[in-house]
Amino acid sequence: MLKFIGKKLLQMIPMLLLISFIVFGGLQLMDVDPISYMVTPDMAASAENQEALREQLGLNDPFVVRYFNWVKDLVTGDFGYSIVNGTSIASLLKTRLPATFELAIIALVLSSFIGIGIGIISAIRQNGIIDYVGRVFAVLGQSIPQFFFGICAIQIFAIKLGWLPVNGRTSPGASGLGDAVIHLVLPVLTMTVAMCAVLMRYSRNTMLGVLNCDYIKTARSKGIPEWKVYIKHGFRNAMRPVLVILCFRLPMLIGGSVVIESVFGWPGIGSIITQSVVSGDYPVIMVTTLMVAAAILVASFLVDVLTAALDPRVRLGE
Amino acid sequence: MSSQASTIQQASKKQASSLLRKNIRKFVNNRLAMIGLVFVAVIIFTAVFAPLLTSYDPNEISLGEKSMGPCAEHILGTDNLGRDVFARVLYGGCISMLVSVLGALMGSLVGMVLGSLAGYFGGKVDMVLVRLSEIFQTFPEMILIMILVAILGQGVGNLVLVFSITGWMTTFRMVRNEFLVLREETYVQVCEAFGMSKAAIMFKQILPNVLSPVIVSTTVNVAGFILSEASLSFLGVGVPSSVPTWGNILNAAKSVEVVSNYWWLWAVPGGVISIFVLAINFFGDGLRDVLDPKQQ
Repeated sequence: MLKFIGKKLLQMIPMLLLISFIVFGGLQLMDVDPISYMVTPDMAASAENQEALREQLGLNDPFVVRYFNWVKDLVTGDFGYSIVNGTSIASLLKTRLPATFELAIIALVLSSFIGIGIGIISAIRQNGIIDYVGRVFAVLGQSIPQFFFGICAIQIFAIKLGWLPVNGRTSPGASGLGDAVIHLVLPVLTMTVAMCAVLMRYSRNTMLGVLNCDYIKTARSKGIPEWKVYIKHGFRNAMRPVLVILCFRLPMLIGGSVVIESVFGWPGIGSIITQSVVSGDYPVIMVTTLMVAAAILVASFLVDVLTAALDPRVRLGE
Repeated sequence: MSSQASTIQQASKKQASSLLRKNIRKFVNNRLAMIGLVFVAVIIFTAVFAPLLTSYDPNEISLGEKSMGPCAEHILGTDNLGRDVFARVLYGGCISMLVSVLGALMGSLVGMVLGSLAGYFGGKVDMVLVRLSEIFQTFPEMILIMILVAILGQGVGNLVLVFSITGWMTTFRMVRNEFLVLREETYVQVCEAFGMSKAAIMFKQILPNVLSPVIVSTTVNVAGFILSEASLSFLGVGVPSSVPTWGNILNAAKSVEVVSNYWWLWAVPGGVISIFVLAINFFGDGLRDVLDPKQQ
């Protein structure tokens, strides 16, 4: 098992390098000259000055050299600076990541419990009321644009009823847990609804598949109580594919939900990504993308380890 | 001998037409799918024949009629520049649908070609392509699209390109898996023995047999791209804001003032998008029941 984990960990490094190379190369194609953001207009008048600065910053170096310099800086913890407003990317991440974490973790946990729970109940009581309502809900959740749902929620709960704040993470001047919680309700609700829909459909289908298996019939014919059949024999086997889906949600902790953060004016990573794409701020795009990519690799590593832990066939096959 | 052959031919023709008839009957009996089809048809019709349904130009600015509510003159009111919302929703639908349909078609095309190559040749080609599709698939879709938009720039054509780069994976997987099975069939061996070129075997002989699930996945992709276009334009990184699309109309709803005071600016396009996507999903489910009964 340890050998298996070690091998998978080592495989992540070349993947990360490959992705960083693609991202770096792709964004070099963008027609942005960082110099034009850095110099004052009177300095820009002299082409000589510009050329000197370019040489000094290493912008004239060949592509591969620049790439390795960038990777070297990243490894030593120097993430660089935004070319639009000059803030250091490291400090940007430090202030924004907690906000995204907060939102994404709560939504992930809530949607996992609700989505998997309803999915399993609807599989057990197929064509019952919960199944029917759940299916309608799942179809709606996949058809209504997330941001439209968010806007409707703002209109109803924040503007018409006035129960909750319209946007932001805290009210100006206010502090404390209560204030943070009321700001979380609407974004968490919107994100949870969207994520529930997929999870519900998926766990219902896998559970239905498992319940049709022969070993469930065997368990029943042995006289095991029905709830035990569902929990011990059904649920455990149905969970494996659902866990895979859940793991692949983890990159959301880094990337956030770009759309939802924008609807609710949530100061997280997602809104940074939007801003940097709009303004062509490529150092920021590169670092955030790479972080998302790293999160994906970690997630798929977790999937591999989890499936190996749950299913001896995978381990022995290696 | 020849009469025998012609009877067989006739019989197979009869069979084919009765299979088609059976499938059509199966589809018509699926009430949700039929409702979906009707809604999709109506919305496409209104978008295509927009000039007949409204006399307003979707881009005509008239500052004298700013932010008017629905009234006799403007059925769905006007936006903050006095542009007629009804006209914008009709014309916008046309572009939104064009972008998503083209994107889905191109994506399926890429998926089919790559899937055929991976499935037919197997080995290293297969491994590299599968790995590539996994990377694309695990990247959060929205972020991947936004990075590509950052690289390529905004524009209707670029958005189609971005969608075809991000939408090929499902089709690829399906085509590849079918190919892995079908390449072992006798008819493929016969073709190879005849000395047919590999390209002809792949695209003329095997590919037609895997088209049914591809049609279904393309339909579902159209719905997904309608949503993606709306989200991107809402964020301001999709189609340039001068072009009316469903997402660009909704872009106005970014301000709280619009959300609270001018409901027709966001509720109408948002509602139309939701209904359209819902209808396509129902239609796609019905299509899947008919064309691809294994995948339910």
